[in-house]
Amino acid sequence: MKFRAKITGKGRLELFIHVSGTVARLAKVCVLRVRPDSLCFGPAGFRGLREAGLRCEAGLWCEVRRGAFQQFRMEGASEDLDEIHLELTAEHLSRAARSAAGASSLKLQLTHRRCPCLTVAVALASPLGRARSVVHDLPVQVLPRRAWRDCPPPSLRAADASIHLPRWKTLRSIVERMANVGDHVLVEANLRGRMTLSMETEVVSIKSYFKNLGNPPESAGVPPHRDPESMVQVRIDNRKLLQFLEGQQINPTMALCNIWDNSLLQLVLVQEDVSLQYFIPAL
Amino acid sequence: MAAMLKCVMSGSQVKVFGKAVQALSRISDELWLDPSKKGLALRCVNSSRSAYGCVLFSPVFFQHYQWSALVKMSENELDTTLNLKCKLGMKSILPIFRCVNSLERNIEKCKIFTRSDKCKVVIQFFYRHGIKRTHNICFQESQPLQVIFDKNVCTNTLMIQPRLLADAIVLFTSSQEEVTLAVTPLNFCLKSSNEESMDLSNAVYSEMFVGSDEFDFFQIGMDTEITFCFKELKGILTFSEATHAPISIYFDFPGKPLALSIDDMLVEANFILATLADESSRASSPQSLCLSQKRKRSDLIKKKAGKNITGQALECISRKAAPRRLYPKETLTNISALENCGSPAMKRANGDVSEVSENSVSNTEEVPGSLCLRKFSCMFFGAVSSDQQEHFNHPFDSLARASDSEEDMNNVCRKEFNGSDAKYFCII
Repeated sequence: MKFRAKITGKGRLELFIHVSGTVARLAKVCVLRVRPDSLCFGPAGFRGLREAGLRCEAGLWCEVRRGAFQQFRMEGASEDLDEIHLELTAEHLSRAARSAAGASSLKLQLTHRRCPCLTVAVALASPLGRARSVVHDLPVQVLPRRAWRDCPPPSLRAADASIHLPRWKTLRSIVERMANVGDHVLVEANLRGRMTLSMETEVVSIKSYFKNLGNPPESAGVPPHRDPESMVQVRIDNRKLLQFLEGQQINPTMALCNIWDNSLLQLVLVQEDVSLQYFIPAL
Repeated sequence: MAAMLKCVMSGSQVKVFGKAVQALSRISDELWLDPSKKGLALRCVNSSRSAYGCVLFSPVFFQHYQWSALVKMSENELDTTLNLKCKLGMKSILPIFRCVNSLERNIEKCKIFTRSDKCKVVIQFFYRHGIKRTHNICFQESQPLQVIFDKNVCTNTLMIQPRLLADAIVLFTSSQEEVTLAVTPLNFCLKSSNEESMDLSNAVYSEMFVGSDEFDFFQIGMDTEITFCFKELKGILTFSEATHAPISIYFDFPGKPLALSIDDMLVEANFILATLADESSRASSPQSLCLSQKRKRSDLIKKKAGKNITGQALECISRKAAPRRLYPKETLTNISALENCGSPAMKRANGDVSEVSENSVSNTEEVPGSLCLRKFSCMFFGAVSSDQQEHFNHPFDSLARASDSEEDMNNVCRKEFNGSDAKYFCII
């Protein structure tokens, strides 16, 4: 099993630092799946999304495509096992990546010290010729084939409604304030760019209306008979939503939300070669 | 007349003073205020006696500096000079200097005053418009501690910008207690210590290599690897933010303490940290005292001699005892006495050598019954009995500045005591 990758360039390094930071905020232990053309972070012990009922736990998935790396080489254990699954403490990776702020390159490599490790090597080379290098050996657990879980995007049926998210800061501050009031929030959206967040307790009811958000182009799977004006809804745990809104660190060029009526909420953020997906099941 | 201290500072001076208090608070919960002709020294020691900090403000740092010691004439022609023995709880003094930036902006003057016959230190801040804030802090009477450490004889000396230390500190997680510094004449490397029996399955190993050209001064006498507690570095970094002076690091072989110092003419800060001793250096080195300990730093400070010792006994001074002279013949107006800091292992000697338990100073051979998992060398030494004085021709002096002391600072004195295999060594 081999894995070696290198990231250079300020923008790409920052993106990787933010990605690992986001993963660390949202999961304590994560599984890093090294595939031939991408790295995929997922929660450890995730059971996978089941089609029927779409019951699952809230989880973050993050895919970093090969294009984010200057070099990317991997070799699975054998021809047909062309993936490597590593379980590690997300905070370790985040901390190691942070030491690459301002660096010229970051290298990832699967190594073996006293135990299997993901070695993160950061090189700082300034024009003054001052060289500094930092190496971190992060202990990892290599998961055997039988422990491999599904990797997204899971093959779900197409969402009932798909809509672009409002301005991030606005959304975050609204959800933050709602979280002070109650635990559940009802998220509704339709295919005409309208989205509503509502929350109700015994004494107060809060509703936020967003319009003109825009919808991504309809994919082939959307049932044609669905009325684009009708709102699709899902009631979710507000704290999970807030956790994601506060924890995620990238600056997405595209941010959208997919809703499966009364089943599941999915938030998708894309920036260059990185895509983040966060699933929150209905209560 | 009593021993007293009176000093006055401006707003910007208070900022430096406050930063010093903050830096020392990272080491210990207690602080000694120790005035002398050299200036006002703030001293502290951590609870396991493995780290010592001292910030010395020279008299010219202050707008006004006045101090005195009490000289007591006694019958046997031996004048005793009693210095101010003032120990403050960090919990009392730290909150006063918490917001140094706002103090710097808002106060016109700060006055600190205390006398040994009063039981409190008075700190006053004078603001604009006649507003005055006064703090009275009770102090405990306690002989300050000192470390004897000659920076100039260290084989290895580095001078770094504080920035480098700050960068290093963020690398190592707070769960890692110790780091190892490995140097060669061309290279500098700071790495996670692998001495600890850490949880292998979940500990990150980190290493930082820095080229020698990033140092202001890089003189390495021999390839060295030393291990020390990493947390205490944060203290000196706090202080370096106040002075903008580079940090000098002095060290030798494993087991010998490491000194970090900042000297900007008006203020001199020294932080001495114990380092982990090598197994191999234990038997051979006559200059370090290796203590065996179980999983924690051993108590390094010994009680030092009192006056008029007969025989070759090691005597202990208890912390609450009346002030004592160290050397009957020399006038030590400065602190200088090393004090027992409450080591449970040290017993009062009655003409015999005190028993040494595994927590106290031991000889370089095996201390029976102790589990030598880790060894930290002894940092604090002091000449001990009065009848051995002829071997000891220099007074205890405060740290550093070997260049301006006229005494021979390179003495190594050995003392042997009856009834014990213990050998006590001093490094001067």
